Amino acid sequence: MPKKILVLGAGSGGTKFANLVAQHLSKEIGQGKVSVRLVGERAEHVFQPANLDIAFRGSDPKKALRTEADLINRNVLHTLDGAANISLEERKITLRTKGGLDYDYLVLAPGAVASPETMPGLKEGSLNFHSEPFEAAKIWNAIQSVKKGKILIAIASVPHKCPPSPNEAAFLVDEFLRKRGLRDSVEIKLLTPYPRAYPSQAISDVIQPIFEERGIEVIPFFNADYVDPNAKKIYNMEGESYDYDLLLAVPPHLGAEVVRSSAIGDEEGWIPSDRNTMRMKGHSDVFAIGDATNIPISKSGVVAHLQAVAVAKDIVSEVAGVREIQSYNGRINCPMETGSRRALFVSATYDAPPKRQNPTLLRYIMKK
Amino acid sequence: MSVEQQLQSRKIVDSRGSFCPGPLTDLFRAYRQAKQGDIIEVWATDPAAKPDVQSWTAHTGNELVEIVEEKGYTRIAVRVTAKKS
Repeated sequence: MPKKILVLGAGSGGTKFANLVAQHLSKEIGQGKVSVRLVGERAEHVFQPANLDIAFRGSDPKKALRTEADLINRNVLHTLDGAANISLEERKITLRTKGGLDYDYLVLAPGAVASPETMPGLKEGSLNFHSEPFEAAKIWNAIQSVKKGKILIAIASVPHKCPPSPNEAAFLVDEFLRKRGLRDSVEIKLLTPYPRAYPSQAISDVIQPIFEERGIEVIPFFNADYVDPNAKKIYNMEGESYDYDLLLAVPPHLGAEVVRSSAIGDEEGWIPSDRNTMRMKGHSDVFAIGDATNIPISKSGVVAHLQAVAVAKDIVSEVAGVREIQSYNGRINCPMETGSRRALFVSATYDAPPKRQNPTLLRYIMKK
Repeated sequence: MSVEQQLQSRKIVDSRGSFCPGPLTDLFRAYRQAKQGDIIEVWATDPAAKPDVQSWTAHTGNELVEIVEEKGYTRIAVRVTAKKS
């Protein structure tokens, strides 16, 4: 019987991991000693960083999609289906329609789910660029008709995908309105639960003056509670509210439905994982990577990619006979556009917090 | 202990080993679930956690109960007093 490596979730982390393992173990796969199977419920792969360009520059949402099968190594078995249950005791995943799959190694990469419906009034009262490219396109349509009024960018809850994205949204909507000559007629506010414009003080020290120069007001310590779509107000948990004409909100995020229904995560569905080995706590044959983990670190494609590399090396070495435990060091490298073709990178590890970095054209080009 | 005190719960939020915004993110997640009167105790190794939580309580009207320097980490306890929901 071949060793079965099963990957649940075909986003950045799951796809990267499956391809790497299939590449390194191509000989063993050819000999029937190993199989690599990737399970994902969507036929398309979504390039999520494109959502900002779709929302604020009018990019075509269809261009953010690729056929997943075209991105996968030919040695990877691909199952197009969702998972209905994960049983770690039985070492088995039950699919929604295509039966069960057992495994020797399980890599969980089911991502995070933007869930605006979990906050009263938010889904009805706001638009977002976190759930889907076609949802992001609704923002582009909405801002075409803005001539005056109040635009709020709000972080409705934490944690969420792509920590710099709310700041980028504020900068890019400012840029859009300036190009149209409408900036003086529109108020822009950024509502954040954190004490400053960006959680990291070093990065905040760079962008706060840019916000001030552009007339974007940062409202700190705003923990959103609910939205009244009829009155067009967003309230925080202390009862304060802000009016809006257009609310662009980062929705609350939850772990994947199957993680929650299988009760293998915490109360929000994040999978308890070792922050270095990415092994699921209490299970030496199960790994979790990317947005799905409970690790207090950026939920971003870069992180998923680096964790996939570490876990792939670990499993490949074990299958090849000499176990080398790889360690993910907490590296993040999140680009943040600040408008006017400038960007900076929020770079850090577990041991080295982000350092001050000025936005430059070169970094903008690197992001693109 | 009064009946009211018994009904109040104390939630430990262990954020040791994570740096900003880890401790605040963990605090806000607990705050979202908390009821008025509950105590949330954040354990943090990140030195930014102490001033950030202090600023948060001062800004929102929640109560800072105690800050205790333990061996290798700080315990910061807040009582939820400002929630309207």
